[in-house]
Amino acid sequence: MSSHREAPAISKDPVADNTDTYAFVSPDDASTVTIISNYLPLEAPFGGPNFFEFGDDVLYEIHIDNDADGEPDITYQFQFETQVLNPNTFLYNTGAIDSIASTNWNRKQFYTVTRVTNAGSQVLGSQLPCPPCNIGPASTPGYAALASQAVQSIAGGHTVFAGQRLEGFYVDLGAIFDLLDLRPLQSLHIAAMAAAPGVNATNGFGVHSIALQVPKTELTRDGSNPTNPMSPTSVIGVWAAASRRRVNVRELAFGQGVEVGPWVQVSRLGNPLFNEVVVPMGEKDRWNSLPAAADGEFLQYVQHPELGRLLPVLYPGQFPNLAALSAPRADLVAVLLTGLPSGIVAGFQNYTGSTYADQLRLNMAIPPSSSPNPLGLVYGDLAGFPNGRRVFDDVVSIELRAFAGATYPLVDSHYQPDGAAGVLSDGLTDSSTTYLAQFPYLGTPQSGYQTTPLAAA
Amino acid sequence: MSDLTRRGFVTSSAAATAGMTALGAALLTEHARAETQGAELEADHGTPGSDPVVAYIRDPGSGHISVMVGDREVKVHDRKLAARIARAAH
Repeated sequence: MSSHREAPAISKDPVADNTDTYAFVSPDDASTVTIISNYLPLEAPFGGPNFFEFGDDVLYEIHIDNDADGEPDITYQFQFETQVLNPNTFLYNTGAIDSIASTNWNRKQFYTVTRVTNAGSQVLGSQLPCPPCNIGPASTPGYAALASQAVQSIAGGHTVFAGQRLEGFYVDLGAIFDLLDLRPLQSLHIAAMAAAPGVNATNGFGVHSIALQVPKTELTRDGSNPTNPMSPTSVIGVWAAASRRRVNVRELAFGQGVEVGPWVQVSRLGNPLFNEVVVPMGEKDRWNSLPAAADGEFLQYVQHPELGRLLPVLYPGQFPNLAALSAPRADLVAVLLTGLPSGIVAGFQNYTGSTYADQLRLNMAIPPSSSPNPLGLVYGDLAGFPNGRRVFDDVVSIELRAFAGATYPLVDSHYQPDGAAGVLSDGLTDSSTTYLAQFPYLGTPQSGYQTTPLAAA
Repeated sequence: MSDLTRRGFVTSSAAATAGMTALGAALLTEHARAETQGAELEADHGTPGSDPVVAYIRDPGSGHISVMVGDREVKVHDRKLAARIARAAH
């Protein structure tokens, strides 16, 4: 998946598992940037009686690098607190929840947003309410309007939302992890089968989103409004992380534990699929614990990606040029670790210097596209991935094609990509899920009552 | 560190094992060289508070003890204390 359950340790800690990170100029307010970090992969909407929630014992962070050194210059911290109205019932709600202040909602969650810079920290908002999960028409009637009450304006012109959303990332997991037997192309696979349409494996699942809308002037290094795409000031690097206390001692008698010590990072995410398909199994947990600026340690896996070696083997005869490509993949290094320097894509750059760091790099001077292409930058839409990442961008197809060599001509005009590289896909489009036209942009989660579990084969 | 304090610390760590955590309310004081956020400093002689304290010794032979309280980690180097805690676990 993008980064759902992407490493052995974090796959056992879903509350802290950062599944996707997005950063884009807000399509309905181009003076702002929206950043979303998702947690809790593959939430089954009917997962009661203890429905999904953020971890009170997790520090969630969104990092911004605005001076191209790979280090965070601005960090937004989110810390949650659960409040139980009546501990003497097993019920999540004792009646219909018709507002986020409803006393029928027995287990509420609130949070604090803090902005940290070198100048110090500032609490932007506290006691901010999360919405309940979408349970069903008897418990959470009018859910879309109910959840919208959790969109809050806080200090500094920021808008924030934290709570359950419909998964926006679409991917044919069943095919990808069955030895990359991509459904539209499986007749060409080493384990050839009849062609079939792609299946959106995340369809209908929920996630927990932390969404933040920030004035651009709060993000640039000098407080300016970015208007020149070729200016370094217009580019920010964005990534998210989750941390836990260094020690957790489980008390024998109380059903609770003691957590002490400094925060230790257990999950991070900039570009989709980086830790998932670039970093090898034995390094994934360590990668999650490291700062983004340490990603030079993983340069070899980007320069010589395993996926680039696998494709010619799994699809015999389809990737001869990729199979012969032995040079370091400078195209992937640019896309994933440094940003694209000027001179590669006309009128565009999102270069953040020579420090290798997995970040979403957003050129904030590029306005939102009036006719977005989910295949993004390489297909002519400068507002799309890997210029940041929008909720609907088809990052699976984009990255599959990039690893297959489709982006290598950006750095070597003599290289001819294989024909298959340009059509590689998991057979899905952004119509596989639904989105909102306004903040927080990710769609309304399905209710448990209205969700049909997967049928047995 | 006074014997009483040492005894309290060791007692509270009796259930620990080598490469262990030990939970208690005692603090490490005298003779202990402490390191906080990379800077060497002498450990505080103040009165122990009521917040839980966890000591972690990854390698008892090294004498390095990580003492965690609240959101802080204090690094202590005391071979004798580390050895006593390790012996208490056997």
